[in-house]
Amino acid sequence: MAQKKRYGFVIDVSRCIDCRACLVACSAENKVGMKYTRIWVRDLGVKGEYPNLEQTFVPYNCMHCENPPCTQVCVSGATYKDGDTGLVLVDQEACIGCGFCVDACPYNARYLDRERGVVDKCTGCIQRLQVGQQPACVTTCVGKARLFGDFNDPGSEVSVALKNARTIQRLDYELPDGAHTEPNVYFINGEVMDPQVQPHEPAYSLAETSWKSLLIPAVLAGIGASFLGQATFFTKQLVEGEKEFEE
Amino acid sequence: MSHKTIPLAERKRLRMKMIKKHQLANILTHWFNVGMWLMLLPTGIAILSSPRLGLSPDWVQVFFRNVFGGTANLIRFHYTVGLIWAIVLTFNILVGFRKYFVPFSKERLLLSKDDVEWMKIKPLQMLGFMKGKPLPPQDAYNAGQKLYMYVVILGTVGIIASGLVMTFHTVFPPFLKQWAQPVHWASVFSIVAGLIIHVYMGAVFPEEKEAFFSMFSGKVSAWYARAHHSKWYWEKVKEELEWEDKVTAEVESSAKPAEAAHAGD
Repeated sequence: MAQKKRYGFVIDVSRCIDCRACLVACSAENKVGMKYTRIWVRDLGVKGEYPNLEQTFVPYNCMHCENPPCTQVCVSGATYKDGDTGLVLVDQEACIGCGFCVDACPYNARYLDRERGVVDKCTGCIQRLQVGQQPACVTTCVGKARLFGDFNDPGSEVSVALKNARTIQRLDYELPDGAHTEPNVYFINGEVMDPQVQPHEPAYSLAETSWKSLLIPAVLAGIGASFLGQATFFTKQLVEGEKEFEE
Repeated sequence: MSHKTIPLAERKRLRMKMIKKHQLANILTHWFNVGMWLMLLPTGIAILSSPRLGLSPDWVQVFFRNVFGGTANLIRFHYTVGLIWAIVLTFNILVGFRKYFVPFSKERLLLSKDDVEWMKIKPLQMLGFMKGKPLPPQDAYNAGQKLYMYVVILGTVGIIASGLVMTFHTVFPPFLKQWAQPVHWASVFSIVAGLIIHVYMGAVFPEEKEAFFSMFSGKVSAWYARAHHSKWYWEKVKEELEWEDKVTAEVESSAKPAEAAHAGD
């Protein structure tokens, strides 16, 4: 049996020069609207004291988490973790663009496309993956800062890169319920632990929270009460039997 | 006079005599509603798959997604049927507004003093108290039915409004789409809470058996009407007597000119 795939990115921050060719390639490949982008490069700024200065750029996109908080809140299952590839995807024909998942993402890796009324995000260029190609951002990266592949395959480019890396960092986040997001994006050969790229606690909109903690208990109590009521009467009816004529 | 003291022969006569309770248009709309709800409720429950809310079991989600071919198709089916339901219902109400909706609201929906009294006594009686206390006479619909009708009307407005927001998601702001989902769910399941009793009372509960058949024939027996909806029953009797008087008067007045003409010969 073929092993389950776990696709993800390895980003060698020591090789990124913030040229943003990946942003352009991604937008062109995925027809992303001019106002939006699915991937970012975060500039952590100049650090250190002259003359020992350094500056790190962190290419950034959906982490394709093992435990994505975004899929937990999607009401319809329009956003889901794909069983075959492990990629976190949005079925835009099912999505209504309410933005629950945008709030819940600890990495701000999703956005609302207001023109199309849907949520959009990095898909790992699954359309290219299906025909055996690498994502557009990866093939276009001149410095080879971006790598993509299956972490479950020890011979894959990403697994080899992880093995040879000087440092490995992962923006893991412990969720309120104790589980970890376990992102499938690994940053190697540099320091990315900076407040600018740190994940935040998933936010839940007022509508979702009141639904969960107010409406569900109230309405289910009503349903329970009415069910119990009719069950009592039905049991009584069964025990007493039916009269031919009503009095 | 209580219906319990009626002599046997009169009871038999009342059982045989049928009076009209529901108009055909209402009956058809009711069963149309049933059919649409049978399609919409299961698919709607199956759509709800947020693990955080935990509103439907996994197997329901998987089963319906397999039957319909994915989430998008399941949602498409749900909102297509939903739109048909909303359009037909709105059409029926608009076309029948003066002939059905206004009289129905006026004569059968408004709560009277007796209804308020009923609401005080009935819940206690169901819990086993005040068994001896007689219930006030009820209209064509009792106070419980009337209350549920308000839930249904408000719920239906909520369902249709929030459903439209989610169906036409490209034109509405995210804020509305976020609230449309809990509103849709709460409206549906407020109705479902009463629906459990509605279906049980209508189809299973022995004393209300006539109510079930009346949703096909439109008619209930005078006995049932007198026992369960006495206010409405006496109203009907009064109407019938008035109608008889009117017909008698008409026959007499049309007979007189003929006599007069005869006398003139």
